[in-house]
Amino acid sequence: MKRYRLFLLAALAVSGAAAAVDRDTATLELTQAATAVQTAERDDAARYAPADLDEAHAMLDSAQSAADGRNWTDVAIYAERAKVTGDLASSRSRQHRAEAATAEIERSVDSLQHQLGGGAP
Amino acid sequence: MKTSSQHWILASAIALLVGACATVPPGPPPDVVRLQNDLDRMHSDPRIASNGGAELANADAAVDMLARNERTLQPREYQQGVYIADKLVGIAEASALARYSEQRGMQLGAERERLLAQNAVIETRTTTIVTDAPPPRTIVTEAPPPRTVVTTVASPPRAVRTETGELMPRARAELMAMQNQMPGVESRLDARGLVIRLGDFMFEPGRAELTPTAEQSLDSVARVLRSDNDAGIAIEAYGEDGMALRRANAVRDYLGARGVDSTRVSARTIGYATRNTIADNDRRVDIVIRGDYR
Repeated sequence: MKRYRLFLLAALAVSGAAAAVDRDTATLELTQAATAVQTAERDDAARYAPADLDEAHAMLDSAQSAADGRNWTDVAIYAERAKVTGDLASSRSRQHRAEAATAEIERSVDSLQHQLGGGAP
Repeated sequence: MKTSSQHWILASAIALLVGACATVPPGPPPDVVRLQNDLDRMHSDPRIASNGGAELANADAAVDMLARNERTLQPREYQQGVYIADKLVGIAEASALARYSEQRGMQLGAERERLLAQNAVIETRTTTIVTDAPPPRTIVTEAPPPRTVVTTVASPPRAVRTETGELMPRARAELMAMQNQMPGVESRLDARGLVIRLGDFMFEPGRAELTPTAEQSLDSVARVLRSDNDAGIAIEAYGEDGMALRRANAVRDYLGARGVDSTRVSARTIGYATRNTIADNDRRVDIVIRGDYR
């Protein structure tokens, strides 16, 4: 919970951000963003949440480009976006997997109920 | 003159009205309203409200913070806040629905176990096998159609008759009998034999570990295979070679750990080299119990 609150607090704290975001902070944000995107990939987001994963990749690319240009404020902004979008891709993957597994069990139960004569044909 | 006065009064009234409007604070921006509406919808959905957890609290806090500070934020800060709050709302919804499905899956799993036990009792009570019919022997069952029960006899019949009167090759009838002993397991009879399908979601994402749902299905499969030691088993895993092979081995090992002789099991992978026959995202594992094994 604190982690996500920090997200928004950081976003709101970008006022006068050029001075507020230093290289270390931006690099840390970038590392966390890359980890979130990798986690989404491991969660099979390419299959279950491809649009979110693509967006997270795009934001991560923007953050890395900003890092190449030493624009640390932009690095922090895009990295935050990549991280939260990667987390969203992971969440949606989990949702789709859970729904698929539950649907399979539901079909099994329906089949059994039908076989036992207690369900609809 | 009178007309001119009326115009003056009207103009003054309009000016006062405009001035009054200018002092009334405008409502929240459309983005904030949209996010607040999304949250209202989620809070009124019992699946989400009761499973929202920390993610829903985070989304609430983010949108609230944005609404309270939107007037003092620079455009870029505001856009960043909207972007992040929007994603947090999405995370809250997806996480809550995932938890809801997982809980429902557990309840359904328990119901499936109960029905499986009930089915086993009924099967024991109602099955009668008639074995004294003249050659070619036909085997009849009183169990509900299309159940076919096969018995081992000294001189095996080449064909059997189901309760519906259908004659079918004995090997196929035996596979049907096996299928009937695995209710609740996704299976089908095709040219390869009896095929039990484990979809990609039966494995942990991107890994070869079986999910609890898959293990429940494999427990039923192993129980049936233990009762017929002659059946040949092929595991066909689809997808990238490395992952497909690990998943095939995971299935073989699981069956082996539950008493299915691993020497009966062959495993192979069907990878992307055969792109004309499978989709790139086809990562299922089929357990094929062969129909011509005797």
